[in-house]
Amino acid sequence: MEAQVFSVGQYLGLVNQALGQIPSAQVVVEGEVSDFRIAQGKWVSFDLKDEQEEAVLKCFMTKWQLKVEIESGMRVQVIGSPKVYERFGTFKMNVQEVAPVGEGALQQAYQLLKKKLETEGLFDPSRKRGLPRFVERIGLITSRDAAAFGDFLQILNNRWGGVTVSHTHVHVQGREAVKDIVGAFAYFNALPELDRPDVLVLTRGGGGLEDLHAFNDEQVARAVFSSTIPVVCAVGHERDESLADFVADVRASTPSNAAERVVPSRSDVQYEIETMERHMEERITDVVQAHGRVIERATGSISFILERQKERFRAIQERLMVAGEDWLPLIRSELEGVARVLRQVDPKRVLARGYSLVTVDGAVLTDASKVGVGTHVGVQLAAGSFEAEVKSVNGKGQQKLV
Amino acid sequence: MTKKKEVNFAKAFEELEQITQWFDSEENLDLDKGLKQFERGLELAGELKEKLSEVENKVNDIKEKFAV
Repeated sequence: MEAQVFSVGQYLGLVNQALGQIPSAQVVVEGEVSDFRIAQGKWVSFDLKDEQEEAVLKCFMTKWQLKVEIESGMRVQVIGSPKVYERFGTFKMNVQEVAPVGEGALQQAYQLLKKKLETEGLFDPSRKRGLPRFVERIGLITSRDAAAFGDFLQILNNRWGGVTVSHTHVHVQGREAVKDIVGAFAYFNALPELDRPDVLVLTRGGGGLEDLHAFNDEQVARAVFSSTIPVVCAVGHERDESLADFVADVRASTPSNAAERVVPSRSDVQYEIETMERHMEERITDVVQAHGRVIERATGSISFILERQKERFRAIQERLMVAGEDWLPLIRSELEGVARVLRQVDPKRVLARGYSLVTVDGAVLTDASKVGVGTHVGVQLAAGSFEAEVKSVNGKGQQKLV
Repeated sequence: MTKKKEVNFAKAFEELEQITQWFDSEENLDLDKGLKQFERGLELAGELKEKLSEVENKVNDIKEKFAV
């Protein structure tokens, strides 16, 4: 039998004809969806994977045929017809119907473990420990090649200083990851207490469920749970979650956020210190001012008393002045009278009229019987004076001895 | 490798907080004690602010292998 020659198009037509012999409506294919995507809002494509046999079936359908929401990782059953697309030479299944059959294997496993750990109390909020307000040592568990490493340190340095970061380089995905991470937890917790970090930070960037497998691993979750050092876990982006997150004492949304949770910001703390300073200052100023007011009141009453005394003094002075004005003329005329009398009894005026003043030893003599014969007396005249000796007193005299 | 530093930030901060609270604790504060507390408070605030200006964080790489 001679071989027939076909054009490519004719050949593929033949293949498609043969494929059409498969009773598609009765054939249901089950597998896990991956690489699910919708192009231009119309064309739906995904791979249907078979984990056991490492087989992949490329599927294609329109958005309108898709009656349920599906996503990568979901386990589904599809019905459709196989076809080779002539233009691209690709084999695809034209899917007519998709029905989910529970969750994809990984998702399912994740959910099952999550539930188990939750029931055991590993996520219990009451056992979550707070972090010290000012940490001095941080144990950082991540890959030095991960962006998370740089992000964490950058934010840490921006916010705070003087902290020692002990970094353990671990794989954050792949076969080594679980072993590395569990080992790092064991290492830090086995350190002597003084060398032990104040907090452990387990972090990595975001990723798919497959990338995050280590963070969803039961051993890692239990290592986080049994750490005597508080643990901050930060995986990927805001929406990513992992079992390690749920077990950790503090769940940070990103590696940068982990740094924010672990150290305060300089400016916040500075502000707080300054607020306390100001507050103390205000209070002490209040106290000083209260004392000041007491002193002020005291000096106030003293000066009031002084003022009153001054007032009294001024009043007295004034009265004296007024009285003085009344009295002075009286006093003056009185003085003049006295002066007149004094002038009249001035001995000099008497002497001028021819009288003389006789003194004995400076005392004025008024009684002749007080002197004896022979006594020396002074005689004062209006002009000049002389001394004399008493020859006789009251007619009786001593005979002059010759 | 020692954990203690010349000024322990956390301890100093806590003491400053306590002093600040003390100022609020009584209506009539004793002036002498108040001045002493104030002096101590300012001293602590000064030390803390000085520590705040510390910019360096140290990173040690732990070389240990974690064979389980």
